[in-house]
Amino acid sequence: MAQYIKPLPQITAETREFWEGCKRHELLIQRCKDCGVYRHYPRLMCPKCGSWNVEWVKVGGRGKVYTWTVAVQPFHPGFFEDVPYAVVIVELEEGVRMVSNIVDCAPEEIYIGMPVEVVFDDVTEEVTLPRFRTA
Amino acid sequence: MGSIKDRVAIIGMGCTKFGENWDKSAQDMMVEAAYEAYNDAGIEPKDIEAAWVGTVNSGEVGNFLAVPLRLQYIPVTRVENRCATGTDTVRNACYAVAAGIYDIVLALGVEKLKDTGFGGLGQAYTYLNPVLSPRGAAVPMFAQVATRYFHRYGIDPMEGKKIIGQISVKSHHNGSLNPKAHFQREVTLEQVLNAPIMGWPLGLFDCCPVTDGAAAAILTTPEIAKRLKPKGDYLLVKALQIAAGPGDHQRKDDYDMIHWEETVRAAKRAYEEAGIKDPFKDLSMVELHDCFSITELVTYEDLGLCPRGKAREYVEAGTFTLEGQLPVQPDGGLKSFGHPLGASGIRMIYEIYLQNQGRAGKRQLKNPGLGLTHNLGGAEGGFIMSVAIFGPPGS
Repeated sequence: MAQYIKPLPQITAETREFWEGCKRHELLIQRCKDCGVYRHYPRLMCPKCGSWNVEWVKVGGRGKVYTWTVAVQPFHPGFFEDVPYAVVIVELEEGVRMVSNIVDCAPEEIYIGMPVEVVFDDVTEEVTLPRFRTA
Repeated sequence: MGSIKDRVAIIGMGCTKFGENWDKSAQDMMVEAAYEAYNDAGIEPKDIEAAWVGTVNSGEVGNFLAVPLRLQYIPVTRVENRCATGTDTVRNACYAVAAGIYDIVLALGVEKLKDTGFGGLGQAYTYLNPVLSPRGAAVPMFAQVATRYFHRYGIDPMEGKKIIGQISVKSHHNGSLNPKAHFQREVTLEQVLNAPIMGWPLGLFDCCPVTDGAAAAILTTPEIAKRLKPKGDYLLVKALQIAAGPGDHQRKDDYDMIHWEETVRAAKRAYEEAGIKDPFKDLSMVELHDCFSITELVTYEDLGLCPRGKAREYVEAGTFTLEGQLPVQPDGGLKSFGHPLGASGIRMIYEIYLQNQGRAGKRQLKNPGLGLTHNLGGAEGGFIMSVAIFGPPGS
């Protein structure tokens, strides 16, 4: 694997399960065990009912583009060869939103409401990033 | 809850040239703005009984102001509230006067950014929603609001880019009439549309610059104002509101990304405080926080200057130009006057002050009166928004 010079996620106690799931190519989202509400990004406490009782659920990874922009200026040298690339917010079927990229179409083809599904990008031996492709 | 309406007067103001002030330190600019304000008010430095200094990045505590101005052992407090810092500095000073504790106080905002390595707005604030504003980066956050706004109102993205582009053309025109503005050149819509993209649809001319500058206000009671300025060349404070977002967007995934609730809440309270029924009719000018062209478009609606989804029609009709029904950014706004973070809110009041005294030069409005200032600070998941209203005696 070529040297990876882009910033990598800082894995914390709260996010470890999420990133471990990505390594296994499984998209895990937190769900409150008391009120059943999904939440993302990972947190200790349910934002709806305040419960600390949480489970990690493997979800289908399907959703729609909620909004997007195109990064054109590479503010970090790791992105010199990538620009222009789209940054999207995907709304999963479970109702939560994630920031990611679309891997299989040009930025100008992306539109709000476009159906997408998760794919996994093993960027280093330790870190796998969830990205999306058209579905 | 009490009201600040007509309890505090602004009797003197000062503002440096905004721009890349390589030859001036923050202290140089503070002295320049303060002495313009002292002279304008017709007071001596020794008349200042307390002072507040607003800065985001340039200084730390009250001595940051006390030392360059040689304020003699009076209370001086530093204020920081993101891009609402300047307005909150004035707000703190106003309450001290309204409380009857001080007769004459100074509120001064300053920022020195251009030779500090400050690369742009948006830093790794810790309280933010990492989905809506990863690391607080400003350009993509506002770009994604633009994309969503266009989608919500059925506007083709290229058409949308032209609509927000007209806002920048308008503000550059106003800035070209302002000798203190950072940018004093007009731009064409074609230039705006062809400028390098920062984060689609926002190009270079959709973004405000970061700037060096300082602005100051001398505040007192209406009774003292009448005595010191018998010609009535002062402003009365009509409303001062701040809304700090409680992080609703971190708790819920239903945020529509086409409005900012903090502005809506602060504006509603400000209109009540000032007794304004219809802001579009009652206000004579607006200085809102146009950090990006899309921010101005959305804020027209959040402030209730036009109905939801109708901002496009108002822009295309020229409603918010200098000659339009309600001029917005008559001084060029953040876009052209520039954005020295802690000074911006006070710079906005400076324009309302000059316009009401007939001192706005080539951009002078025929019928100035009540003016509104608005600041937007922070990022999704925790904005600090301010809405303040000022007017001449008798308004």
